[in-house]
Amino acid sequence: MGLRNQPGIIGCSIRPVITSRDRSLEEVIYDTGQLALKDAGLGIEDIDGIVVAANDQFDGRSISVMMASGPTGGVDRDIMSTPSASEHAFILGALRVATGQFRTQLVVSWSPTEVSSMAEAQRLGADPYFHRALPLDELSAHALQASAIEQALPDARVAAENVTKKNRDQGRLAWPDAPARPAAGPMRWPVTPAMTSAPVMGAVAMVLAAPDFIAERGLRDVAWIDGMGWATEPSFLGDRDLATAPALAAAAGQAYAAAGITDPVTAFDLAEITDATPYAELLAYEALSLCPRDQWAARSADGSFARGGKLPVNLSGGVLTWNPVFCTGMIRIAEVANQIRGRAGRHQVPNARRGLAQAGSGFAMQYQSAIVLSKAARTKGAQVEGAQVEGTRP
Amino acid sequence: MSGNRVGIIGIGQSEFRSRRDDASYPDLVREGVIRAMEDAKLDFDAIQAVVYSLSPDAMVGIGNAERLGVDAVGGRNKPFLRINNGGATGISSAVAAYYHVASGMFDVVLTAGADKIGECGDSQTVLNKIWDPSYERPLPLGTINMLAMSAVRYMDRYGMTEEDMARVTVKNRHHASLNPKAHLRKPVTIEDVMASRLISWPIKLLDCCPQSSGGAALVLASERFIKDNHLDAVWITGVGHSAETYWMGDRMGNNPTAEHADAYALGRSFEKSYRMAGITDPMRQVQVAELYAPFSNTEYHSIDAARLSPKPVETIQRMRDGEYQIGGRIPINPSGGTLCTNAIAVTAMARVAEVALQVWGRAGDHQVKGARLGVASGNGGDHQIFGTMVIEA
Repeated sequence: MGLRNQPGIIGCSIRPVITSRDRSLEEVIYDTGQLALKDAGLGIEDIDGIVVAANDQFDGRSISVMMASGPTGGVDRDIMSTPSASEHAFILGALRVATGQFRTQLVVSWSPTEVSSMAEAQRLGADPYFHRALPLDELSAHALQASAIEQALPDARVAAENVTKKNRDQGRLAWPDAPARPAAGPMRWPVTPAMTSAPVMGAVAMVLAAPDFIAERGLRDVAWIDGMGWATEPSFLGDRDLATAPALAAAAGQAYAAAGITDPVTAFDLAEITDATPYAELLAYEALSLCPRDQWAARSADGSFARGGKLPVNLSGGVLTWNPVFCTGMIRIAEVANQIRGRAGRHQVPNARRGLAQAGSGFAMQYQSAIVLSKAARTKGAQVEGAQVEGTRP
Repeated sequence: MSGNRVGIIGIGQSEFRSRRDDASYPDLVREGVIRAMEDAKLDFDAIQAVVYSLSPDAMVGIGNAERLGVDAVGGRNKPFLRINNGGATGISSAVAAYYHVASGMFDVVLTAGADKIGECGDSQTVLNKIWDPSYERPLPLGTINMLAMSAVRYMDRYGMTEEDMARVTVKNRHHASLNPKAHLRKPVTIEDVMASRLISWPIKLLDCCPQSSGGAALVLASERFIKDNHLDAVWITGVGHSAETYWMGDRMGNNPTAEHADAYALGRSFEKSYRMAGITDPMRQVQVAELYAPFSNTEYHSIDAARLSPKPVETIQRMRDGEYQIGGRIPINPSGGTLCTNAIAVTAMARVAEVALQVWGRAGDHQVKGARLGVASGNGGDHQIFGTMVIEA
């Protein structure tokens, strides 16, 4: 089934690293939302609803949305939160626009670093009886996945090193001032410091709008949502084959079906993938039907996924360049949106018409999403079926 | 939106208790899910997406505890996301599930969750952490003294007495005695409430909700799916959310942004739901309501916000006259409500479930005769984020 109304992204604010210490978290959220509104040419009075996503453990609060209602403009507005993943806020915002009951949505996510130990905060997310005692954090889970992949495919390590070099090179182009920030502290085999990125504070916001609103305002720089898919793996790592990503394959299947994509290899001008480690990017190549695993080493070596290649992946430098842990997924979507809108800056790919964003989060990427964005809106007949329901705007 | 309506086709609730030592957290989620799936007469292959209902993680002692519930809801390799709007989470999850279907992307969506508040140690310690760490957290605020301040202001402005608060408890306990799923089912008298231990003046022990454990789930479906499969359903015809300021201090003082005695944003949310459902005169059109009121005093301003009374002073009088009890003009919380059962993650979902059962004519001994249209609400955060829904037969 397709969306009743095709949502478009009309404003983005990507702040993959925030180093200034003179702004509170509330002010960072306010700044980020305002920048997205400015990018869209709108004011908060134009916004019908808000969806936010944050991690309570990282924020040090029991219900993070509460604090965010002021800085996002949520007071006297319809505001919801999806703490499962940053990308889920985008998805719920898009669904709300698709109903025809909202003309606009502001979606916002953030990830601070003040927590005394991010690994300990992540460890609280493990079940208290089995996994928590291991101890398990996200890096450990990524390492278990990397190990499983290497077991299944011995030359995966070479491919992982190629992906690391590609993303770091592209990151230096996109962010010339970005320091190489491999994660500090003990590593988990087989992941090396170069294959990770230290957590930084970051935030991201996007403005979504309905086709009639976009037409009414005469907006031109729009990244239309052509297809969305999202899915989850089970919680227990022992119940999963970590060398595969069936949830991402399911999510991609939903997104591709909605977008009418039958040959993903040739369908996109660029992609952004959540490369928490290069192994995650490799696994996504396969689950997204971009490259089978027996070609990972060859394709990663011949530049197929590098700038100038057949399908540039992570022109932004990806998570390996900046790692605002919780909101990296929504940033991947915003990066593709900016490419489609011609607003990606230094790392803009020429004439980007269709792009793919993959967002992954949780232990060994439990949550997986695939979003197809396009410069061209769908044909009119597929767009507006439901009537605007009067009175749902604040 | 004829032809594009969204219906509720399955409802599942636990029998809520203080403790459920026999069931793990995912077991409780599963309990609600199994009952809702049996009610809908569907198997899990029919479920296309899941909205997970869970408020503060710390209540179950696990960060992002929704991840542990994936198998309990049959969510593996399916679209799955979690909502957390504090105490409103249950109704917000139902509304999010509604958006999943209303978007046109899905025909059948499950929303589910559970809580084990009775086993969390002290919910007020967890709930103190909802406030800003620098300013309001150290007071120390909890949800009880937060709403005691609201009670004091309502007393001052509208003349509510402690006995009026007790009257709500007496009504809801009587209702709960008729509902086998309610947690606190023992009837009490005004004298019992007045004699109970003072918690935070004017709130006494029997003015407070319990800490409950249990699960709940709903199955929502598109009108097309319901008709094609000849299913029975009740219909969600209005939804809404609205929020107030985070800061308690901004709701009190000489020029508050929204008066803390009242429930300003709840009223705004009801306005949206009513407009969407075409309700212009709630006092005449609404036949039953499940309003989220965890403390006896908050039922008054919830009735005001739902416009089920002409003005607050009359709300108090109408409560005295028995208009809001089963058999009265507009029964409020015929299930016993949040005051008798509060498993926070699904409490507001239970409000939706109970209204759905009422307009379906399936509420058993606490059925409101002839109810065809009802409303539900949920309150979250520091009485800050509100969700509302209109459900019709």
